[in-house]
Amino acid sequence: MGALRLYWTLVSVRLHGQMQYRLPFLLDITATFLGSFVDFVALAGVFSRFRSVGGWSLGEVALLYGLAEIPFALKELSLCGYDYDFFAPLVRQGQLDQMLLRPLSLPMQLVAAEFPLRRLGRLSQAVLVFALGLHLTPIAWSAAKLLYLPIVGLSALAFFAAIDITGSTACFWTVERLEVFSLFSYGGAAMLSFPMHIYHVWLRRFFTFVVPAALVVYYPALFLLDKPDPFGLPRLLSFLAPLAGLGTLAAACAFWRFGVRHYQSTGT
Amino acid sequence: MTSIVVEDLRKEFRVYAHRAGGLGALRSLVSRDVRLVRAVDGLCFSIEAGELVGYLGPNGAGKSTTIKMLTGILVPTSGTVTVNGRVPWRERLAHVARIGAVFGQRNTLWWDLPVIESFDLLRHIYHIPPERYRENVRQFTELLGLEEFLRTPVRSLSLGQLMRSNLAAALLHDPEILFLDEPTIGLDVVAKERIRNFVRQINRERGTTVVLTTHDLSDVGKLCERVLMIDHGRLLFDGQLSELQQRFGGERELVVDFAEEYEEPAVEGARIVAREGPRVTYRFGQGEVGALEIIGRLSARYRLLDLSVREPEIEATVRRIYEERLLDRRA
Repeated sequence: MGALRLYWTLVSVRLHGQMQYRLPFLLDITATFLGSFVDFVALAGVFSRFRSVGGWSLGEVALLYGLAEIPFALKELSLCGYDYDFFAPLVRQGQLDQMLLRPLSLPMQLVAAEFPLRRLGRLSQAVLVFALGLHLTPIAWSAAKLLYLPIVGLSALAFFAAIDITGSTACFWTVERLEVFSLFSYGGAAMLSFPMHIYHVWLRRFFTFVVPAALVVYYPALFLLDKPDPFGLPRLLSFLAPLAGLGTLAAACAFWRFGVRHYQSTGT
Repeated sequence: MTSIVVEDLRKEFRVYAHRAGGLGALRSLVSRDVRLVRAVDGLCFSIEAGELVGYLGPNGAGKSTTIKMLTGILVPTSGTVTVNGRVPWRERLAHVARIGAVFGQRNTLWWDLPVIESFDLLRHIYHIPPERYRENVRQFTELLGLEEFLRTPVRSLSLGQLMRSNLAAALLHDPEILFLDEPTIGLDVVAKERIRNFVRQINRERGTTVVLTTHDLSDVGKLCERVLMIDHGRLLFDGQLSELQQRFGGERELVVDFAEEYEEPAVEGARIVAREGPRVTYRFGQGEVGALEIIGRLSARYRLLDLSVREPEIEATVRRIYEERLLDRRA
């Protein structure tokens, strides 16, 4: 497919550039790996003290962590173009205008603009923790669960992408960094690594029904682990992940298109 | 065939006034002073295919805003723009594939890549047929002297090399229209000349329509026959450069080589500004007595060997127009 080949041609330029210097590159990945690993060490530290947290064992929490972190890390790798820190300078320095002069869609150009390999550190860490979780926790695997797992992963990826896209679209209106979006993306991923019932009821409700983070990580996890929902909400919620993921992504994309139209009407 | 048609084009910007002080900031949350800036105020013009047009105006006149609307970056408040039969911002991808744009002191190539690799990426992006690509690269390299830095990363280039590379890049896909926004700004004389010659050749050989926005009036003088002059968002002048000179050129100079050194070769309608032996330089104003008349009067009284008439510098003409508001129809 033409678009895919074009994406690959553009992205390989970025990959090439990064791998030019071997040693710094490897050090970078290692550092990122260790950085995220500290996260999990803190988590494991809690469990060394308490056998379980809210009825969840270390293995189960590790799985939850993986279910949140792997899609998040994948998003960080592949959709760096929509990262606020990457996108905001583009708008400010007028490079967005240059992109508008190329016969390529803006999303294509942004997505192909960067692929930070050092974030493989975060991804590999998440995979290891997930593997640890799988090792420690007996799951009653079924065909349904095996099929649903990758769908959940993609839905979470779509959800995290939606947060980033929304945050970047805000650039069209304000030069201020809206920290609230970092709260949702990084904060969201961190929050999702813990079982929801440890959080306040309003926080839970917000992140289930308004910004449906829980629908793409926590509720599917309940299904995988055959755990009942401590709040008695219907089992159905576990299967709403694709709807939540695609829904938020669609909303974010609509907002993005609106933002681009606004930008083209007002200039910089 | 008309390449670009602009009808009653308007672009207004809402500028929000800042209120000073802490109280002012709070008040700004409730209501804000809005000022309406008319960057482009009812432009009408059309450009035929193959023309090389200069687009002049003082800073803040609305030139860049116009170019942004012609290239499709900006959407106008009202009015119509048609470029090659398309509305730029509505059919962005199709429109942009057939135009090229170079902005002075700005770069469109990939910083870390050698120039030739940037070209190669553009080949993919614009779907340029391999034969066409090779031929264009060959010709542009030769005409612009790119050979010595074709394999140098773009970030290491000097400004002149950067602009030449950007110019070549903008034409690789054989666009029908080329937009140049201050392409020679900051360049030395040699680089400017090279770029001018290149643009002229491209325009002549390929019939590429060129819209040249510039402050450098020697660019205009050397390249353009037709100029559009804009100020405060309005079109002040649309016509031949020579006409502009004739109407507003201020004074012209007449240099006469007399057969002998006359003491006071005065003449009505012109004043002497310099003498160098038998060579006398006169100045005379437009619209009063014509050059022919003065020459006639001189030759009636004295013996002339040779003469030449010098047009005023374009800079001087344009400066007069801006400063003395000679074309200002707003009053």
